Amino acid sequence: MIKIDGLTFDYPGHRALNEVTFAVDSGSVTALVGPNGAGKTTLMRCIAGLETPLVGSITVNGMDVIEQPRQAHRFMGYLSDFFGLYQDLTVAQCLEYAAATQGLPADEIPAAIELTASRLNLGGLLNQSAGSLSRGQRQRAAIGQAIIHRPKVLLLDEPASGLDPEARADLASLFRQLQADGMTLLVSSHILAELDEYSTHMLALSDGRILENRELKPSRLAETVRYLHLELASADDRLHEWLNQNPQVILRSATPEHAEFDFNGDVSAQARLIRELVEAGFLVCSLASHKENLQQSYLRSIATHRENLP
Amino acid sequence: MNNPEFKRNLWLSFSLHRLIAVPLLLALIFLASAMSELQGNVADSLYSAATTLFIFIVWLWGTRNANAAIVDELRDRTWDQQRMSALGPWTMTWGKLFGSTSFNWYAGLMCLLVIATSGLMARKPDVIATLLTLCFIGVLLHAALIAVNLHTSQFDSKNIRQGGMGWLAIIPVFILIPAFSNSREMHVSWWGIQADHALFWLASAALFAACATFAAWRVMSNALQVRTMPWAWPALACILTYYSAGFIDGDALLLTGLLVSGGMTYAALFSEPNTRLKWQKLRLLQQNRNWRGWLENLPLWPTTLALVFIFALLIQLSSSRELPMSPLSPGLAIPFALMILRDACILLFFSFSPNSRRAASATVAYLMVLDLLLPFVAGVAGLDALRYFFFPFDAGHGSTLIMILHSTTAIALVNWRLKKTQ
Repeated sequence: MIKIDGLTFDYPGHRALNEVTFAVDSGSVTALVGPNGAGKTTLMRCIAGLETPLVGSITVNGMDVIEQPRQAHRFMGYLSDFFGLYQDLTVAQCLEYAAATQGLPADEIPAAIELTASRLNLGGLLNQSAGSLSRGQRQRAAIGQAIIHRPKVLLLDEPASGLDPEARADLASLFRQLQADGMTLLVSSHILAELDEYSTHMLALSDGRILENRELKPSRLAETVRYLHLELASADDRLHEWLNQNPQVILRSATPEHAEFDFNGDVSAQARLIRELVEAGFLVCSLASHKENLQQSYLRSIATHRENLP
Repeated sequence: MNNPEFKRNLWLSFSLHRLIAVPLLLALIFLASAMSELQGNVADSLYSAATTLFIFIVWLWGTRNANAAIVDELRDRTWDQQRMSALGPWTMTWGKLFGSTSFNWYAGLMCLLVIATSGLMARKPDVIATLLTLCFIGVLLHAALIAVNLHTSQFDSKNIRQGGMGWLAIIPVFILIPAFSNSREMHVSWWGIQADHALFWLASAALFAACATFAAWRVMSNALQVRTMPWAWPALACILTYYSAGFIDGDALLLTGLLVSGGMTYAALFSEPNTRLKWQKLRLLQQNRNWRGWLENLPLWPTTLALVFIFALLIQLSSSRELPMSPLSPGLAIPFALMILRDACILLFFSFSPNSRRAASATVAYLMVLDLLLPFVAGVAGLDALRYFFFPFDAGHGSTLIMILHSTTAIALVNWRLKKTQ
């Protein structure tokens, strides 16, 4: 859905993006993570066609954003980190304006406002002026403006910034819903735990370069190597050796009561492992798949990047 | 309503209270004006009051609102949303131009009605022409300010967010007001035609209102990423040249063109972003032989600089006599063009430095030293050769050679800076 190739963007005296190349799958939710100054906002603005890079190409839904930014905008919604609302307009007027400026036919606008308002739980706020809304309500109204024309790609720069936990949970739920509707989301945030709830991919950026771009949550059944935690009800000194003898196990750490290892096998193989452990006399009380969360993935990417630095 | 931007402005500008209050307030002012007239010239009094009110409401207050049309978007961070909208540049331009000033035109329309009625009653000459001229100047001011703010926001959005260039409107307003108090019996001589004063003002106001609206649309096109070829700025220079030269019956058309293009080159040079990145991008486009992209990305000032050289060459070729009403002899046209090229290179030299924030002020300072201070010191010290070197315009035939030396040195400095910073 989004293809970036060799994107380089310079600010005076500083290269913000350095030959960035990646692709974002259709229907995915990609978490764009990286430290301050990594180039996340610049990348978002380039994809949105609001900034023109020095070199490189950007394609969204098959449309060249640099050559045809206005045509590409039809497929995109964008919420910047410092978004604005027309303070003196009501929420309904803000949504109507956004719908009309995005070219929705006049007869479709009332239905689009109703649908967007119900999706974002803005129904009771339609007649309130945007200036009187709380931070979370403003955020929802701004997202409403960005999605009212049902874009195929939604770019969100720090959407959860300043929101309380309840509003963040609502936002996560909304993003899952938008993904289920087939929208492709690229979301940048510093709050990695929140991104973890709905992201399917992680794109780590540092110093204007891509550190890692990978899928976060592959299908559980298709997973071949999984990180497992084993707990025993009582200590057993044989555990370390027994696990080491299993060819599907790559042990990370083990004590007589607990072991952590990478298991090379699907869920059926995992079920067989439990049976074999029980048959061998181990008092297994838990064998759980331990998924690496986004924060761990990100920190690992950063660590690998630093190790590889000359 | 097909224009959402115009509609949004109507939402913001009008309320039932304002719709009712303004006619009542204006009626009270006109009543007070009529009642204060003791000599019985009520129509005259109303005519003056309504004209003054129109100037205040549409020209000044309206210009302030037109200024806010861009300033508010940048300050409230809604500009990105507008840039990503599907609205075309023309829709956005007229939506802002007439939407942000809609309330002023609503009140101004009432003033126009009083001007028309009282003007006819007082048997004022050219009432209709005056009405139209007032309106065109209003559009001219509003559109010009939208264009200037949009143009400036490309590199100085902070300044625009803090209030924009609205203060600039006061200058033309005070220049234009006396035109309405001049004797209507006067005629204007333009390209040998004796034109009626009021009609000439009307035509001029209409022409420049159209130019300003066109300029606003062009700058809006760039802001909304609709690519344009760089012909409008030199075309405006040609229009201004032709218009200005008409007042001296075309005797100095080429010289006027040289000066107008030179002035516009400096105006664009100091109001556009001239960053190294911008020129690096142009160089890449040139290397890729993407000439269309190169022209679309070209700043404005080189286009009028090219025009300066064309006018200078035409002056050199077409005339050997002294140029009328000017101390500039035909032989100085080329050195004048080379001086502008040199000054542009000096600005680029400072703009390409790693710390380019004060490039414009550094350029102005160095130009003052180069063109004023050093020639003055050399002159006072009796070092004429040195004075001619710094300011060669009275050095006779050597002036062209000296200015070639100046400009090639400046070009070499720019190249050196480019290579050093790459």
